[in-house]
Amino acid sequence: MTNWNAMSDEEFRQIARKFIEDNYPQKLRYPSKRLRWAEIKDWYFTQSKAGWIAPGWPVEHGGMGLAPGKLIIWVEEQENYGVGRAPDHGLTMIGPTIIQLGSPEQKAQYLPKIITGEHVWGQCYSEPNAGSDLASLRTEAVLDGDHFVVNGQKIWSTLAQDATHLYVLVRTDKNVKKQEGITFLLVDANTPGITIRPIMTIAGDDKFCEVFFDNVRVPAANVIGGVNKGWTVAKTQLGFERIFLGSPKLPQYALGRLEDIAMKIGAFDDALFTDKFTQLKLDVADLNALYRRYTEIVRRGGQLPPDVSMLKVWSTETYARIASLMVEAAGAAGGLDGATDLGGMTEDIMTHYYYARPATIYGGSNEVQRNILSRATLNLPG
Amino acid sequence: MMSTPAAQVAEDPAEEQRRMLRESALAFAANELKPARMRTLRLQPVQFDRKLWKTMAEMGWTGLMLPEAHGGSALGIADMSAVVEELSRALLPEPLVASAVFAGNLIAHGDNDALKAKLLPALVAGDLIPAVAFQEGLKIDSPVQSRAEAAGKDFVLNGVKSYVRPGAGADGFVVSAKCGDGLGLFWIPAGTTGAELKLERSTDGTDIGTLTLKNVKVGADNVVASAKVGAAAFDRAFNEALIAGSAELLGLMRGALDMTTNYLRTRVQFGKPIGSFQALQHRAVDLYLQQELTAAALVEVARLFEEGGSGDQLNALASRIKARASDAAMQIAREAIQMHGAIGFTDEYDVGFYFKRIVALSAWLGNSAEHRRRYAACSGIGKKT
Repeated sequence: MTNWNAMSDEEFRQIARKFIEDNYPQKLRYPSKRLRWAEIKDWYFTQSKAGWIAPGWPVEHGGMGLAPGKLIIWVEEQENYGVGRAPDHGLTMIGPTIIQLGSPEQKAQYLPKIITGEHVWGQCYSEPNAGSDLASLRTEAVLDGDHFVVNGQKIWSTLAQDATHLYVLVRTDKNVKKQEGITFLLVDANTPGITIRPIMTIAGDDKFCEVFFDNVRVPAANVIGGVNKGWTVAKTQLGFERIFLGSPKLPQYALGRLEDIAMKIGAFDDALFTDKFTQLKLDVADLNALYRRYTEIVRRGGQLPPDVSMLKVWSTETYARIASLMVEAAGAAGGLDGATDLGGMTEDIMTHYYYARPATIYGGSNEVQRNILSRATLNLPG
Repeated sequence: MMSTPAAQVAEDPAEEQRRMLRESALAFAANELKPARMRTLRLQPVQFDRKLWKTMAEMGWTGLMLPEAHGGSALGIADMSAVVEELSRALLPEPLVASAVFAGNLIAHGDNDALKAKLLPALVAGDLIPAVAFQEGLKIDSPVQSRAEAAGKDFVLNGVKSYVRPGAGADGFVVSAKCGDGLGLFWIPAGTTGAELKLERSTDGTDIGTLTLKNVKVGADNVVASAKVGAAAFDRAFNEALIAGSAELLGLMRGALDMTTNYLRTRVQFGKPIGSFQALQHRAVDLYLQQELTAAALVEVARLFEEGGSGDQLNALASRIKARASDAAMQIAREAIQMHGAIGFTDEYDVGFYFKRIVALSAWLGNSAEHRRRYAACSGIGKKT
């Protein structure tokens, strides 16, 4: 077995780059929309067969056991090549959770099938009345013999229509502080009583779903972290995700598109546009510097401070400003839905403008991020 | 999710040195730099303290970047920036960036070894306070009109230089002037015949100068840089001053924001600390974000600058950080006053010192709009093929 961590960073980077270049489908580079399982599953299987599918997981569970520094390199190389994101909740969210908190039986049952791609996981957290205030969720699970009976409705479950399994936060105690009556459940998506309904977005796609639970019977053995301990499980899960939500990838890509468009249509002849563009270019450059601050902490094995929430705020809001300038620069074409010709290049002007909207909402809205920063970093009173 | 144990993060030796420099600057600031000093100094003919400057020299800060041959420590811009940031955070009217970084490095980058041997040890010792007189007109890219005409081995200078910092208290000036096809740099001691200094008050309470040169004779021994190397020497020292000047703005941001968040935590209205109001919390977070964005960019810019690059690359790096620091500092300064309410607008409350120094230093060496323009020109924005 290859000892990846014994390699120099540069050697590992070259190998990672070559693996991606040799195997990632050219036509899926820099996808303008989130890819569905059917579109990108071959890339998933390729990585799985080569042993590359779970770089951050320990070797004994089928991962590469990459040290954090090597993991960052792997992510950077994917970003540089424009590798699309496969439905990856199994790899990034629930797999590591099972590794950390699951029973030996749960590990044996679920982990190998995440590695092979046989199981595709979806997340069921938010509810119609529990968005930013997630802890107020009401989907209920009542114990009946050795099963929980689940009733309720979840929403904004990304790509749940492609999932074979769902991890769900449910209420198991209504008589305690809201955070202390929540349980984390693993659910087979084919269990009778589950209905998954995609939601059409204003961007014209259906990557978000509603998930309805109607007397769904879930084995009591499918609890992770203990009954009424689900909030703690969900919180630890979100720790490492924040840094990826703040990746400069999307704003950098959009800025490159904006620059190409601006060159084609002669926007740089306008000093006002050039100043706005330069401002955004500096915003992205400084975002990269901020991102590197946190990846450096991870690389050295340190713990991320709470102010990592800044990254998500700055990354998504910079992305939104770039998208706005793109629409502004396009003039009359800024009102078109779908691809159009701009001085010899074809571009869907609205893609980024649409995707900038959920970007500042998901993963904890930017307002919630600011609440966190206000309390945890600035120590302002609650 | 990833289980990362709270491992002790190992420090590399360069970082350890920088941390120690930071700590000594912090300790010095705690002992020596009190806002009350600003109230008395602004009434003096020279608005900084030469005795304190001498102590700073003993700490090694005036010679931190200067060559070891002349008594300096030959450290880089990242180390200098760390010291500047910590001192500035406690309000420092002494011209560490203007004299030690900008003028000192400019002399060091020149090609007159005898003059270096005369001036630099005095700067290192804290006995000489030089200033750079480069700007003509309102913008940093206003063309240089001043001329140096050769007269035998000597030169005769004519021209007008504005916004010279420090004005009051400067012992001499490094003056840029057109010299044949190039740019020459000349040392003109304060009080030289034909060199008249007019002072104007800057918002920060210091006097900056306009230096008018009428047939000023400069001997060959006082040529800081010949026309061959003058422009390159100037660009390098200017860029270093931009980076250190950004560190100075970052220190001021930290000082102003600390005061402001402290006020938000303690000021009670409507029966609650005003910092419990979300409208203020979110704005305070945005200020913190700008501050940390500047800090992260400063670390990166200083590192890349030390690694070197083409002239355009280095110019773009330095302008990138000055644009960010100037904008971020101005935003923090305005909001610091607003969040304090009326008390923040009074002369007796110290947050005004931060506001005024930020306004002064954001404009000095070029404001954010000027540096975005310089960045765009040097990084080829709009020129992609």
